[in-house]
Amino acid sequence: MSKTDIKGTTVKGRAELALNDDFLRKAVKFTTERLRDGKRKASDDLGNWEEWRERGRQIRLHTIAHLDYYLNQFANQARLNGVHVHFADTAEDAVKITLAIAERKQSLSVVKSKSMVTEELHLNQALESIGVDVVESDLGEYIIQLAGETPSHIIIPAIHKNRYQIADLLSNEAGETLPPDTAILAGFVRKKLREKFLEADIGMTGCNFAIAETGSMVLFENEGNARMVSTVPSTQITLMGMERIIPSWSDLEVMATLLPRSATGQKLTVYMSGITGPRRQEDGDGPDEMHIIIIDNGRSLQLGDPEFQELLNCIRCGACLNACPVYRHIGGHAYGGTYSGPIGAVLTPALNKNIDQWDDIASASTLCGACYEACPVKIPLHDMLIYLRRRKVERGLGDKMESIGMRGFAAIMSNSKRYENALKVGKLAQRLVVKDGEITSKLGPLKGWNNYRVAPSLAKQSFRDQWGTMEEEIRHGIQEIDPLVSNRMEEIVRNREAGGKGHD
Amino acid sequence: MTETHQAWLAQMESESRAKQEQFMKGIAGRLGHPRLTNAPPHPFRGAPDFWQSFEWSSDERVQHFTDNFEAAGGHVHRLSDMQEVQSFICSKATELSARYVIHQNETELNNLQLKEKLEDVIVTQWNSGSDEDWIARAAEADIGIVMADYAVSHTGSIVVVSSEDKGRSVSLLPTALIAIIPLERLKTRLGEVLITFDEAGRDQLPAGIHFISGPSRSADIENDLTIGVHGPGVVFAVIVG
Amino acid sequence: MKVSMFITCISDAVYPRIGEAMARLLAKYGVALHFPTIQTCCGQPAFNSGYWGEARASAKTILEAFEDSDFVIAPSGSCIGMIHHYPKLFEDDPILVATAERLQKKSYEFTQFLVQVLGVNDVGATFPHKVAYHPSCHGSRILGIKEEPMTLMRNVKGMELLPLPFAEDCCGFGGTFAVKMSDISGAMVNEKADHVLESEAEVLVGLDMACLMNIAGNLRYRNKPIRVMHLAELLYEGVEHA
Repeated sequence: MSKTDIKGTTVKGRAELALNDDFLRKAVKFTTERLRDGKRKASDDLGNWEEWRERGRQIRLHTIAHLDYYLNQFANQARLNGVHVHFADTAEDAVKITLAIAERKQSLSVVKSKSMVTEELHLNQALESIGVDVVESDLGEYIIQLAGETPSHIIIPAIHKNRYQIADLLSNEAGETLPPDTAILAGFVRKKLREKFLEADIGMTGCNFAIAETGSMVLFENEGNARMVSTVPSTQITLMGMERIIPSWSDLEVMATLLPRSATGQKLTVYMSGITGPRRQEDGDGPDEMHIIIIDNGRSLQLGDPEFQELLNCIRCGACLNACPVYRHIGGHAYGGTYSGPIGAVLTPALNKNIDQWDDIASASTLCGACYEACPVKIPLHDMLIYLRRRKVERGLGDKMESIGMRGFAAIMSNSKRYENALKVGKLAQRLVVKDGEITSKLGPLKGWNNYRVAPSLAKQSFRDQWGTMEEEIRHGIQEIDPLVSNRMEEIVRNREAGGKGHD
Repeated sequence: MTETHQAWLAQMESESRAKQEQFMKGIAGRLGHPRLTNAPPHPFRGAPDFWQSFEWSSDERVQHFTDNFEAAGGHVHRLSDMQEVQSFICSKATELSARYVIHQNETELNNLQLKEKLEDVIVTQWNSGSDEDWIARAAEADIGIVMADYAVSHTGSIVVVSSEDKGRSVSLLPTALIAIIPLERLKTRLGEVLITFDEAGRDQLPAGIHFISGPSRSADIENDLTIGVHGPGVVFAVIVG
Repeated sequence: MKVSMFITCISDAVYPRIGEAMARLLAKYGVALHFPTIQTCCGQPAFNSGYWGEARASAKTILEAFEDSDFVIAPSGSCIGMIHHYPKLFEDDPILVATAERLQKKSYEFTQFLVQVLGVNDVGATFPHKVAYHPSCHGSRILGIKEEPMTLMRNVKGMELLPLPFAEDCCGFGGTFAVKMSDISGAMVNEKADHVLESEAEVLVGLDMACLMNIAGNLRYRNKPIRVMHLAELLYEGVEHA
């Protein structure tokens, strides 16, 4: 295995590659800052952001908690609208159904709008294998399709590409040299894809939200390509995760208020489209035939699991990516899955049954909680990462050295005498590496830390060593406590015992 | 549709219904409750209470709509009546050197008599009688003209719905879009429009409901904003009344 | 009224002067701290890495140490944050889970205790230096500690509180993350230290020695002479020199 191969198999290895890619880091940093600022401004302008978040959370929690009712209602209502509804347990099932439809319709070309769930399924390759030409119509997705890559950000898939790389890709496609000018490049794509929209026989979309009560599906976008693929081709196939449901159009107001602001800082995406069935017979446009494929692919595994059920609240806004300092440094591809950033770090393992395939993805986090703070539906991703780590350890799949270290930790920390002895031993041992109260050595276990820092040494006298003398000295001259203060403290204790929350 | 295709669809449907049962049983099982047959009480329906009572005055609605729509790169004009709209459209057609114009088959738009007023311009009325490729007509049009069914000032959005006379393509395929908004259709909040769809019920809904909040855009190339990627790059919102 | 010191292992073993500053400052308000010696470590390093059995072994010393305390104070938002995880950590043990819930209700980060319980906004300190403040993640996001340190700092005479660019960004410590994902951690702490240097502060202050040790280590590695202090130290020094 070559060095790059090894580097390519773990998050740590891929992260190393990313950290050495200056352009990538600058691009990711610039983009995430722009989006983060946008969100902050938009949520400040709106006001009462916390109330909106709580509302969004409650609507999603409620829907997921009653998913059998709402998903069932959605499917039945959609059928009444004339939609052909399909259910797929696994990615393979979903692909099978899609290919069956494409073959039935003798499709030659499919034009697609952005859909993360289709990335999960690796659907494009499958269609191409049966001779169907698939074109991504979202500008960012089109670019990475030409590059043969996967998206590195949920909202801005080609964040890792610079305009020169993009100009090269598009020039190749154009058969002439296009300058690295955004307007010209976009102009070429508009013209090129316009042809594709008009000639494709199948339009494929994802689904931002599905409205249970009326069997409608809702798409959010800025370019207009999702509208194109759901209006022009004669057949429409929509793929949706089974959890993308909300009960009503009124509930959509909350999602429409949270999603665009969280994703990019917009009040609303340029286009928000609610599609209820294929064309009516008398309509002049719209697909004749419409299919919706409802996909499980590991989502139902989260149901009934109190630690992960909330994961299904996710509305795929990408705010967690923009808030995450780890993501900002390593970009999306380092995560090694369809989804990246904090949501990816949890979703990828959660959707897969085999814990041994998780590698170190859940370790790529400091648990700083920025993702939780940013999430418009308040998913506690930072807690979920700990649960994932615990599950891996419980299955005996934790790192061997780390397990040994932790057992040592427990042995020492479970008893204060042992801990005190360990400190004594530590102070002796550190003499080998301490100089002027610091440790700069990069030997062995010190390497990771001291490649970037100077480590402090253990204090000559720990706090507990000093306490005896200190306490005596302090008590000797201590002030009398202010009665107001002691009353307050007693009140607090009383409230606590009476069943109060304690303090804020 | 061929018989074999219909048979295939029927086959897929029976498979799908069986799978549906499986899915729902599985979900109910994992959630730890028996299959729910009645709608569960939904105390958090819609926006928070403080928002549901939020409303702007007519002038405020116009002001906020204008600010939002223009901030997104759209153009807003305030006119008194359809006569002025007619003049506006004519002047825009000239300004944009339009050769093809398409408009929805709506009375207010038909009354503008654009076929007569716009010389040297081919004006098409959507889905009006003859067997045309209406999508192609919309695709070749320089300007698409629609009456807005609603507009929302809080987000700066125009709302159009599809029907026999109103094509989705008319607000999507042409290079420029002119949307005429009668003042009384301009609401404050998204929810005011969305609730009408809940109230209408499934069988009354059109195939396409579209909220349009400016010209088509993308920032996918190095965060550099570009306008007019797939949808119309020039959008005029004309508030009338 | 038994007010106890939860020293935290890092302060105990590496930065004992933090504990001293806390004890002496609180003494000025008549609060005599008790220090139960059976406490070792809150268990966070094991907990965060998924070794909950090992975490419980350590956490039990904390539960036992403070069983009969009325107030428990620590110079760390992350260690108090860890106590908030105790009910979950001990959810399978009906006796200990009740102890954990009781402990959670009576545990305070240092500035929380000063401001919320003692009602102190101004300790009477003078500290004529340019200072930047790093709000540690657990304290600010999970415990919601935002106003208390600001209030205390604003009232320090002569101190110029400079804005820290991207202050709320994580410093990259993350416990074992710093070693397991050392390059990412290094990139994050380099960036944090860059922001500290950008602020032109002479002193960096914070509420959590884990973060501060991390940032201080990087600044020292880069030979930048910025003093890094815990707020308790700063306030105590400011009071002593007033």
